[in-house]
Amino acid sequence: MAGDRRPDTTKTAMFLRILFKSLKVRKNRVFITFFSIMIGASIITALASVYFDISAKMSRELRAYGANFFVGPSSSGGERSVESATIAKAIGMVPPDKLAGATPYSYGVVRLDLGNAVLAGVDFMGLRRLSPYWQVEGKWITVDFDEESCMIGKTLAKKMELKVGDSVNVISNEIGFQKTLTVKGIAETGQAEDEQIFVNLPLAEKILGSGGRVNHAMLSIVTDGTDVDGLAARMQKELPGVDAKPIRKLSYSEGRILEKIKGLMAIIAVIILTVTTLCVMTTLITVVSERTREIGLMKAIGAEDREIVLQFLAETMIIGLAGVAAGLVAGFALAQLLGHAVFGSAITFRMIVLPMTLVPSILASLLAAALPVRMAVGIVPAKVLKED
Amino acid sequence: MAKKIVLETKGLTKRFGSVTPLDSINMQVREGEWVAIMGPSGSGKTTMLNLLSCLDAPSAGEYILDGVATATLTEKQRVAVRREKIGLIFQQFHLVPYLTALENVMLAQYYHSMIDSKDAEQALAHVGLGHRTGHLPSQLSGGEQQRVCIARALINQPAIILADEPTGNLDEANEEVVLDLFKGLHREGRTIILVTHNPELAEFSDRVVRLQHGRVVHDESAH
Ligand SMILES: Nc1ncnc2c1ncn2[C@@H]1O[C@H](COP(=O)(O)OP(=O)(O)OP(=O)(O)O)[C@@H](O)[C@H]1O
Ligand SMILES: [Mg+2]
Repeated sequence: MAGDRRPDTTKTAMFLRILFKSLKVRKNRVFITFFSIMIGASIITALASVYFDISAKMSRELRAYGANFFVGPSSSGGERSVESATIAKAIGMVPPDKLAGATPYSYGVVRLDLGNAVLAGVDFMGLRRLSPYWQVEGKWITVDFDEESCMIGKTLAKKMELKVGDSVNVISNEIGFQKTLTVKGIAETGQAEDEQIFVNLPLAEKILGSGGRVNHAMLSIVTDGTDVDGLAARMQKELPGVDAKPIRKLSYSEGRILEKIKGLMAIIAVIILTVTTLCVMTTLITVVSERTREIGLMKAIGAEDREIVLQFLAETMIIGLAGVAAGLVAGFALAQLLGHAVFGSAITFRMIVLPMTLVPSILASLLAAALPVRMAVGIVPAKVLKED
Repeated sequence: MAKKIVLETKGLTKRFGSVTPLDSINMQVREGEWVAIMGPSGSGKTTMLNLLSCLDAPSAGEYILDGVATATLTEKQRVAVRREKIGLIFQQFHLVPYLTALENVMLAQYYHSMIDSKDAEQALAHVGLGHRTGHLPSQLSGGEQQRVCIARALINQPAIILADEPTGNLDEANEEVVLDLFKGLHREGRTIILVTHNPELAEFSDRVVRLQHGRVVHDESAH
């Protein structure tokens, strides 16, 4: 028999067969192990998702810190612009002591000497209060009757080869209006504005021929003690065709909370991992003692320690990986709950969460398996096989 | 026509602390011989079989199996000897509960070298279980389980078959079936060492070795 064997099943196939049958026969234990790892992994995923996403949003939105209220054309009306006067009325409805800054925006495409660009007409006084984080080389435009100057975003300036003090011809694509302006300041904003050119609203109106209309306005309203939702509702009611809404952003204090609980989150993660490890270990120890005879038998008929170790680790890894996969999904859902409850923000999945969850969970599973595997290796077949 | 000596012990001894369940056993077994080891409970039969099957290492003495001196081998080396040279049959059957009869036989192939399911099927057919290959141990009777164990013990062509009370847990009908299988193996020229309480089983062997208090008190041809 052994001499003229024709192998028809590979060792790997047999290994997997033993593996899956062994898992299948112990569904309850497998489920407990899976569930422990899943819970551990989901908590880590949730905490890591919240932390990394909120951190990322913080660094992005802290820079945009300021504007927290939007007034524009209602989306149902199909209009893409609003009367300047209406915008002014809306801004007027904010109690003056609660208005930190506001500017309308009027956008259009213009041709510069070296190519097309988006031109934005703004109220520079308001814009400056909305955007204190802008890094400006040169100077801000400070008066609203200045129709000889412009500010320009850094990326655009580079593309158009413009420096502070340079002249630039601005030509309207639609109505052919042309004007030569002096670059007064170059702004680095880290946002879309880096690609835009800014002029005073009255000038923009001439260049774009927008006829007393603007696209929208951004406002910064002091939210402490202000019912911004109520304000938005009143604006929409009193000014038909207007869409007004607060823009929910992370406040600085929320960001501080995140930094403060960072350590706490790490501690929770470690505790959960420890509990997971203990739970998995207990279950695996039970499994090994249930399988004492089977392991003894395998050794008696020629299984090496290596094969016993491989069998157990592979079983643990399969359950572990399934647990991590389920934990990632559950944890991400949990992150949404946390995000909404604590930060009022949806949580975007960040790739870093994957290794952050996978590596510690798998390490915990391996750690949990270490003692049970040693027990399995230590089984003496002569002892366990004679017991009835 | 003296046949090759498959197994030889010289002063083979096992001690557990102050207890010496096996004391200076000298014995030779030739190829194709069927030896029955008998003796009262506690006389050292299982202890001896554990040494002969390399499940355990002796405290003193020599043991040469199929040309290999095994007394001083490490556990890892003894695993290899078990795998390569020994077919083991236990009183309690000992099958992997979640593997089918066929897979249990294939398991021995898996640890040994390569897997040939046809070969494993043949081995099961040989013990009269050709129609039960897909059944789990729990779906088989005790006698059938023991026959699976016998098929597994044979599958790698071991130099020697060692059985500890193979019929100890079987009713008479199944005992008969297993006995017939051993008779068949003997006819095929296999070397068999069988521990038994059962004089009927011993009757068919070539030779009976009787133990008492860990010593051989009787060793001669049964007929
Ligand atoms: N691991 C051990 N530690 C201590 N004493 C042991 C050990 N194994 C066996 N013994 C002792 O060795 C003696 C022989 O035991 P063994 O199991 O070989 O007997 P046996 O002939 O197989 O008996 P039975 O017919 O009941 O199976 C007994 O007195 C037993 O208590
Ligand atoms: Mg015994």
